[in-house]
Amino acid sequence: MGGRQGRGSAWRGGTGRQGRAPRGGEGRGGRGGLCGAGAAGGAPNLGGAAGQEAGSAAAQLGDMAGVKALVALSFSGAIGLTFLMLGCALEDYGVYWPLFVLIFYVISPIPHFIAKRATDDSDAASSACRELAYFFTTGIVVSAFGLPIILARVAVIKWGACGLVLAGNAVIFLTILGFFLVFGRGDDFSWEQW
Amino acid sequence: MKIFLALEDTFQVKMAGFLDNFRWPECECIDWSERRNAVASVVAGILFFTGWWIMIDAAVVYPKPEQLNHAFHTCGVFSTLAFFMINAVSNAQVRGDSYESGCLGRTGARVWLFIGFMLMFGSLIASMWILFGAYVTQNTDVYPGLAVFFQNALIFFSTLIYKFGRTEELWT
Repeated sequence: MGGRQGRGSAWRGGTGRQGRAPRGGEGRGGRGGLCGAGAAGGAPNLGGAAGQEAGSAAAQLGDMAGVKALVALSFSGAIGLTFLMLGCALEDYGVYWPLFVLIFYVISPIPHFIAKRATDDSDAASSACRELAYFFTTGIVVSAFGLPIILARVAVIKWGACGLVLAGNAVIFLTILGFFLVFGRGDDFSWEQW
Repeated sequence: MKIFLALEDTFQVKMAGFLDNFRWPECECIDWSERRNAVASVVAGILFFTGWWIMIDAAVVYPKPEQLNHAFHTCGVFSTLAFFMINAVSNAQVRGDSYESGCLGRTGARVWLFIGFMLMFGSLIASMWILFGAYVTQNTDVYPGLAVFFQNALIFFSTLIYKFGRTEELWT
C-alpha cells in the first residue's frame, strides 16, 4: 500500500512538472510560483517538496477538468429539463402529465448506489448485485421512455409533446450517465481522470 | 497419382473463402469480455421492461374487459415471477460448486430452477393460447392478444439472456 502511494505521487509529480508547460498560460504563473517555493526548500527535501507541490498542481489540473465536466453536464441537464418543460408548457400542449418522468429521473441512480453499498467492490470485475442494479436501472430508463408514449397513445398528451419529452429524456439520461462516468470512479484511481 | 494430389491441393486453395482474411476493425478501447455481464444485464432489462410496457399500453388503449380480459394479466405476472425464480439461483449452485450452499443445497436449487422454467414455459404457452383462442379465432381486434403474447415472449427471452448471457467467472 505504501509502495503504491509512492508510485502514485511520483507519477503525479513527474507529469505535473512536465505538464505545466503545455497547459494554459494562466496556470503557468501560479504554478511557477509553487515550483519556485518548492525549489527554495532545503536540499534533502527538494525532491519530496517539489513532488508534493507538483502533485497538488496536478490535483488542481484534475479539479479543473472536473469543474469543466461539471459545467458541461449541468448545461446538458438544463437543456434536457428545458425540453421536458417545453413539452408541458407550450400553448399547443398545456398539460403537465409528462412531469411524472421526473420520478424516473430521480430514482434511476438508486439501484447503482444500493449495489455499491451492499457489496464492497473488491477485485471482482462484476457481481450479481451490480448486474441486478444494471437491470433495474435499464428498466427505469425504458419506463421513462414508455410513459410519454402511452400518454400520447391515449391522447392525454399530443404526439409533439411526447417527442419533446422523449428528447428531454435522452438528454437527461445521457447527463446522468456522464456523471457516473466522470465522477463515478473511486478516489483511489483519481489519476484515471486525466 | 501425384498429378491428382497436386490438383487436389490447388482445388482446396481456390475453394477457401474470400472472407478468410477479413477481420473486424479492432476496437481496443473497450474490453468486451469484461463488459459481457453488464451488456447482458442491460439487454435483458430492455427486453423485460419493453414487454411490460407493451402490456400496459394494451391495457390503457383497450380498457374494456370485453376487449382485454383482465385475467390475461396473469400470464405476465407468472412470467415475471418465473424470471426472478430462475435468476435467483446461480449456475454454480446448481452444479454444486459454490461454497455457500444457501438454504436449498444442490438438489433444492435444481428443483427451484425446474419449477421456475416450468412457470416460464407455461406462461409462454398460455399467452400463445390466449392469442389464438381468444383473439385470432374470434374476429375481433387482435392487438391485445398480440400484446399478451409479446409481453411473455419478451420476458422469456429476457430471462434467457439474463441467465445464460452472463458468465459467473467475472464474479471471482
